[in-house]
Amino acid sequence: MNEETAPAVHSIAAYVHGYAEEKRLLGFRSGCGFVSATWGLLCPRCGKRDLKEVTLSGRGRVAALTVQTVPAEEFVNDAPYAYVVVELEEGGRITGWIPGVRGPEELFIGAAVAWVSSYRPGLQFELRSSSPEDAG
Amino acid sequence: MRETWVAGAAMNRFGKMAETGREAGARVALEALDRAGVEPKRLGLTIVSNAFGIAEHQAHVGPLLNTALGIPEVPSFTVESACSSSSAALHEAFVHVAGGFSEAVLVVGFEKLSHLDTLAATSYFATGADYTFESQNGATFPGLYATIANAHSQKYGTTPEQLGAVAVKNHANGARNPHAHFQKEISLATYLASPMVASPLRLYDCCPFSDGAAAVVVVAREALPRPAAEPLVIRASARAGDIGDIHDRESLTSLSATRRAADAAFQRAGIERREVQFLEVHDCFTIAEIVALEDLGFFPAGAAAKAGADGTTARDGRLPVNPSGGLKAKGHPVSASGAAQVVEVFEQMNALAGTRQVPHAEVALTHNVGATGSSCSVHLFSRR
Repeated sequence: MNEETAPAVHSIAAYVHGYAEEKRLLGFRSGCGFVSATWGLLCPRCGKRDLKEVTLSGRGRVAALTVQTVPAEEFVNDAPYAYVVVELEEGGRITGWIPGVRGPEELFIGAAVAWVSSYRPGLQFELRSSSPEDAG
Repeated sequence: MRETWVAGAAMNRFGKMAETGREAGARVALEALDRAGVEPKRLGLTIVSNAFGIAEHQAHVGPLLNTALGIPEVPSFTVESACSSSSAALHEAFVHVAGGFSEAVLVVGFEKLSHLDTLAATSYFATGADYTFESQNGATFPGLYATIANAHSQKYGTTPEQLGAVAVKNHANGARNPHAHFQKEISLATYLASPMVASPLRLYDCCPFSDGAAAVVVVAREALPRPAAEPLVIRASARAGDIGDIHDRESLTSLSATRRAADAAFQRAGIERREVQFLEVHDCFTIAEIVALEDLGFFPAGAAAKAGADGTTARDGRLPVNPSGGLKAKGHPVSASGAAQVVEVFEQMNALAGTRQVPHAEVALTHNVGATGSSCSVHLFSRR
């Protein structure tokens, strides 16, 4: 995570511009230590205003997953695919999708994943460990 | 605050409606008023929930409903809280009546989505989540609850058979409910053979898209000296919220809004959990019922998955849960579901529940969730 001193970015458009044009995952770190990849004006955990803009690494481990056979509207030509909650290595969580995952046996909680700098929309991740043993 | 009752409640059969939501809402409203013995003219306010009214090209539907009920002069407003819309409306009605601002308030919730295809209906539902940070990353509502089920399974060992037991139980109850969308029992084998929607959730883990309407009449005790039916005393009406996105919450296996709303409700009511005799909880997906029973405080974390399989939560079990069939079998017309839970409590406490009547119906709890737990209502009811 690249920490900056600027106040957090207070526009969803800037987040989306970051994904699509700058290949950058924007987020914020709160004074309480909470890291979020979701837009907000105040920290949803502590309620304070001291949010600092951060660029998130996009690297982490799967905290929860599902393989969607029935897709979301924008993913109608991609099913089945995985929707994942990713625990980022710097803390905080982000969500995204992994194409080509046909069943839950192909993915596991704890798997290492990384953002592939793609936004279609949909933050696309790729699997970096193929088994729980690889994941350490 | 003054003592406040649900004096009447009614719903139609959930499923597919030929008529518009506005027509169905007016019909169930009149039936609920008749059950209460309250003329429309006595209403001081109507509160309407119709989250996806735009799917019928209709907003600001309250005045139309009031006009149909012969009370165009009565004020009305709409409450939207995703799947907890009409329980949020009930909370507002309670505040108005208990606080002395109205003698009688009508709550009506209705939804009609059956004219849309599955993809369109799924997309409407998805707007209740965070469109930018969840839905556009690939999540549907089944997908979001599937991540909860996946994390719950990892943490507590929850099995597909335990999820299936919830579906089997609620279908067994729905089979006895003439209001239910699905009035057929299913076996565990049928459940396990059903197609995967979002792993680990199968088709039979998911509530259906339903049309439907339900209405509740809320009155001050002093305004109704001779109620036409046995009223439900609203012992507590509590609401709580949580971070909108599941992934930003501390826990992926628990809904803190449920915990906080339940704690507030029990504290305000002065009721212990062991006094509650049956529950209607938000089971939009089977995992939701399991998590609800843990967060409401009836089972320790990780222990509720066994309750469906061992019969504890069956209609004749120690703690009947969703005797109506729940959202799972009775159906889930988004804005009608919270009010319909109260209809079930009303029918149970008035011995109108037929073959699904629970053994003891003196104290009951309803639990209604908006989206994935960012909104929650808990109500406690008792007989006089």
